[in-house]
Amino acid sequence: MAGIEQAENARGSATALEPEQSAFAFVFRTLCWGAVRSLPIVLLAVAWEVFARSGAVTMFQLPPLSAVLERIWHDAIGGDLFINTGLTLYRAITGFLISMVAGVALGMLMSRSAIMRWFFDPIISVGFPMPKIAFLPIVVLWLGFYDVSKISMVVFDAIFPVVTATIAGIAGIERELIWSARNMGANNRELMWQIALPAALPQIMTGLQVALPIAMIVAVVAEMVMGGYGLGGAMMTEYRFANSRGVFAGIVEIAVVGYVLVKGMSLLRRRLLIWHPEASEPTTV
Amino acid sequence: MSGQPQIVIDKVCHTYRPPRGKPVLALDDVSLSVGTREFLALLGPSGCGKSTLLYLIGGFLPIERGTISVESKPVTAPGPDRGIVFQHFALFPWKTVRANIAYGLERQGMPREQREARVQSLIEMVGLRGFEDSFPSQLSGGMKQRAAIARTLAFDPSILLMDEPFGALDAQTRHLMQSELLSIWQRTPKTVIFVTHDVQEAVYLADRVAVMSARPGRIKTIVDTKFDKNDKNIFKTKQFVDQVDAIWDLVRDEAIKAQGGRES
Ligand SMILES: Nc1ncnc2c1ncn2[C@@H]1O[C@H](COP(=O)(O)OP(=O)(O)OP(=O)(O)O)[C@@H](O)[C@H]1O
Ligand SMILES: [Mg+2]
Repeated sequence: MAGIEQAENARGSATALEPEQSAFAFVFRTLCWGAVRSLPIVLLAVAWEVFARSGAVTMFQLPPLSAVLERIWHDAIGGDLFINTGLTLYRAITGFLISMVAGVALGMLMSRSAIMRWFFDPIISVGFPMPKIAFLPIVVLWLGFYDVSKISMVVFDAIFPVVTATIAGIAGIERELIWSARNMGANNRELMWQIALPAALPQIMTGLQVALPIAMIVAVVAEMVMGGYGLGGAMMTEYRFANSRGVFAGIVEIAVVGYVLVKGMSLLRRRLLIWHPEASEPTTV
Repeated sequence: MSGQPQIVIDKVCHTYRPPRGKPVLALDDVSLSVGTREFLALLGPSGCGKSTLLYLIGGFLPIERGTISVESKPVTAPGPDRGIVFQHFALFPWKTVRANIAYGLERQGMPREQREARVQSLIEMVGLRGFEDSFPSQLSGGMKQRAAIARTLAFDPSILLMDEPFGALDAQTRHLMQSELLSIWQRTPKTVIFVTHDVQEAVYLADRVAVMSARPGRIKTIVDTKFDKNDKNIFKTKQFVDQVDAIWDLVRDEAIKAQGGRES
């Protein structure tokens, strides 16, 4: 509902934009709009700071945001921040990319072959809603504590939305689109790569946009459980030392990294789907 | 081989079986022959199975009862010998106008330079110059329709199956496109099956007009309508007007039946 309203408003303001408006006015408007949009976050940050300093909670229960930011700054200078963030990103993104390639491939195969569908359909229906993190001890037993097991956990979780989105995207292609490609002499392979894949791309992108935060979450949780370097692991170390500033620093770092990833993905979507009517609408994420 | 018409449709039936709901008998016992280089218009009330018939000739839907043969060979699959212009355009939304039109030529392996020249000339012909790099979502309905026509004409099929190809055009553009189609048809050997709701257009363009009955579709009547297509004043002659009126009556009867017998 909100999305629809927003799109309507944006269209309204776009028509109201006069061509003779100066560049300055445009920049000013954009800045104002940006400020308005980030206001809730700013308010939350201020509330955190004020509440933490009010004396209602101890420093241990909730350190003020400024203290947490100071800690993050400290980690950044020491270089730990970049090692931990880099490792977590490496695990999350590698897992995500594997899920993307394998998930789209599996989705395409399942769309094409009844045997593949017969075999994988029940597996996916059972596997998707299952909490895959429950397999973590087994994965550790099999693959050890290192990156392989963490990345496997990410793939194991993130692949499901990609497969289902690919299947749904391909199933939803207008039959006349397929027919017209056939009419012009496309063979099965060309039909799959040149027609089905781009036609299903909006849905596949939606699946990937779901899979990316999942990849991030699973990477952090796997790190928290298995320990070692990485944002999740570092957070658990701080926790063991009862350093709540360190734990909160981890939470803020994870939030920022997650936001950047999701934002980047939605920008990529707009680039890739430049042909789609949605590309001319304002971003909602 | 020699004596047989190019397209022979023999006692074809088609039933749609939606996954849920009752089967729909769309075509019932349709027989029709179309000669080489003939221009046949197909008229009939909405929902009588005109599109379905084109899909069957195009080889997109399986033929369950009856036979359709083209050049004496039974139709089993789609092929570039039978180019179709879909009622809802079916342009590839992720390709620009230029890339849409070029797709069939790429599949035929036409060299790049030759292909670009051909695509450009088709773009000019349908009046889409300046919109070569637009995506279908950025075009109006009539522009999409013209792009779809250009895309099908591009790969030069010997049989053209056109499903209300001018339905989204204004009267002026429609006239221009009609004369373009006629001049292509007169220049290059093409057989055309042309679905329309515009009786005047059908009588003007076609050699024969087939009127279909309300669903389940059958061929109700076939009328010869050979008028001089180069005569600008043909629309005003009495023969032409009478012919249009007569066919209008046939179509209207069926349209009323399609509405369930209600007179509008
Ligand atoms: N995919 C489908 N599933 C079920 N029934 C269908 C399907 N497509 C068409 N039909 C039915 O078949 C009948 C014929 O459809 P068709 O599209 O061929 O009609 P038409 O003559 O082209 O109509 P119009 O002039 O409105 O385009 C319709 O009555 C419709 O109910
Ligand atoms: Mg139709």
